[in-house]
Amino acid sequence: MRFSEVLNSAQEALKGNRLRTALTMLGIIIGISSVILISSIGQGAVAFISEEFSSFGTNFFQITSGQGFIGAMVGGGNPITKEDANAIANESRIDNIESEAAFTFTTRKVSAGEEEDTYSIYGMTSSSQIILKPVILYGDFLSEVHDDGINSVTVIGVDVAEDLFGVDTNPVGESIRIDNSKYRVIGVTKSPGGFTGSFFNNAVNLPLETMAAKIIGNDAIQEIDVSVYDENQLNQTMDDVESFLRDRRDLDEDEESDFTLQSQADTLETIQNITGLLTAMVAAISAISLVVGGVGVMNIMLVTVTERTKEIGLLKAIGAKEQDILLQFLIESVTLSLVGGLIGVFIGLFGAFIIAQVVNIPFVISLVTVILAVSVSSLVGIIFGLYPARRAAKLHPIEALRHE
Amino acid sequence: MSKSAPLIELDNIQKTFFSPGGDYLALKGINLTVKKGEFVAIMGPSGSGKSTIMNIMGALDSPTGGTYKLKGKDISNYTNDQLAEIRNKEIGFIFQTFNLLPRTTVLGNVEKPMVYADIPAKERKQRAMKILERLGIADKASNLSNHISGGQIQRVAVARALAMNPAIILADEPTGNLDSKMAYEIMDIIKHLNSKKHTIVLITHENDIAAYAKRIVRLKDGLIESDKVKK
Repeated sequence: MRFSEVLNSAQEALKGNRLRTALTMLGIIIGISSVILISSIGQGAVAFISEEFSSFGTNFFQITSGQGFIGAMVGGGNPITKEDANAIANESRIDNIESEAAFTFTTRKVSAGEEEDTYSIYGMTSSSQIILKPVILYGDFLSEVHDDGINSVTVIGVDVAEDLFGVDTNPVGESIRIDNSKYRVIGVTKSPGGFTGSFFNNAVNLPLETMAAKIIGNDAIQEIDVSVYDENQLNQTMDDVESFLRDRRDLDEDEESDFTLQSQADTLETIQNITGLLTAMVAAISAISLVVGGVGVMNIMLVTVTERTKEIGLLKAIGAKEQDILLQFLIESVTLSLVGGLIGVFIGLFGAFIIAQVVNIPFVISLVTVILAVSVSSLVGIIFGLYPARRAAKLHPIEALRHE
Repeated sequence: MSKSAPLIELDNIQKTFFSPGGDYLALKGINLTVKKGEFVAIMGPSGSGKSTIMNIMGALDSPTGGTYKLKGKDISNYTNDQLAEIRNKEIGFIFQTFNLLPRTTVLGNVEKPMVYADIPAKERKQRAMKILERLGIADKASNLSNHISGGQIQRVAVARALAMNPAIILADEPTGNLDSKMAYEIMDIIKHLNSKKHTIVLITHENDIAAYAKRIVRLKDGLIESDKVKK
């Protein structure tokens, strides 16, 4: 018997009871769509972060207070200081260090004329230009003359400039106001690579000392960035800097460092690990959902075989062989789960697309995931459809015909 | 096969149904020969074994004793799939109830045996339409099988029985569910088929239906009681 004939009769049978067909597919749809959704978003997030990082280059690393990935975010312990940054630059004698820059960070309301909004305020030294390589659209970046003493100047991001002064306006020479102090705009920057959402575009940058004195009120810093000449030696340099800072802090051999060094590669790896873990978790949960969906398919197929016993008897009477019946019911269960899987893929991708638009990350379709999802759903149909189909195939024609 | 060679040869056919409550001997040794072109009615009260003999003749079941030769071939020990092929190619069934596939058109029903015989779709359709025309129900070809009347259902069943041009047409109480007018209509069709050299075996318990046949075999308690050819 030809495959297309079997496919036709499976289609007829499934159309014959649409509600049942839809409900049976639901389990599969939920399982497949959640895998597709989460993996697509995860990959989109990784793609976004990778792109963000590559715009800064990968020849630098960050030093933050506290221990480990979480500690780096919350800080704590013995915080890193401007003196640490200076010492790395002047006393460590590590040849590969190109430059270092200390950063501090807060958010404040910023106004210019009638316009006012809340922005991220960064305190940084002129050396940060070497490390982060911002694109200068108008004027200049912070220079060494601004590093010492109070200099009420600022370099603002392109988005800030557009918000406060209008599109395509050169605001150099104008002033902005933060906490009742005026700062003269000396330059407008954009993140390298021009990726929207990048930090330079939305940042208001002040000289580090000026920000410490006028806005924060203390000398605390949040981060030291260190760039290197030879990227291949980055890990060695990080080890050297860590030893140097441990010495400075008189840490014993067996004490853990109370600060964290992290390269862009490390951060990326951490995020990839988290995403991978999340995807694996969702995959595991979805696997359970697929098994439940599969049991649903099996259940319905058993009911269908019982309901259609007489029909099977008639088909056998007019010449259907065991494998004809087996194939017919197997195709029905595979169609159920495969169509469910395809709908799941569609819903998952659609959901991922919407979310990608909303949170502004790239929309990633992983062909491997889609193929895997479709294969798994057909497999579910085969595995859970085999028993009911065999039962149908083995029915005795007379008993089937007499069935009431 | 020469013209006089028998189509069906039942030689001492026995059928025992095994069950935990005691075995039951439904057929106790049936000897029956049907030649090509015959129209045989098998009659008998319920429990006489007429359904069992029809199941064996129709290759739906295998005997537990004796030999069944169909067109000279002993099929007593055929496998399930071999029997399926015999049913497909040599037997055309007309049942009392549940004759047609639900959710399927009249045309689809008639085509179905040809589907299992791997006949190409185009040829299938042509052959099925031709048979439906012969039986005067070509206009119902695209109707779903549950949207036609009881008499039409049996006509479609006859059409399907003819689809593979089988050696025998086996009709198991084909008029049992019909009123007498439609019953005679169907019997006229079956009689007409016999006049066109189709071999017919009819199972019935009604005398007026059996009267259409040329030969009447009566069963009682698993044995042949009488076997008369009408003059």
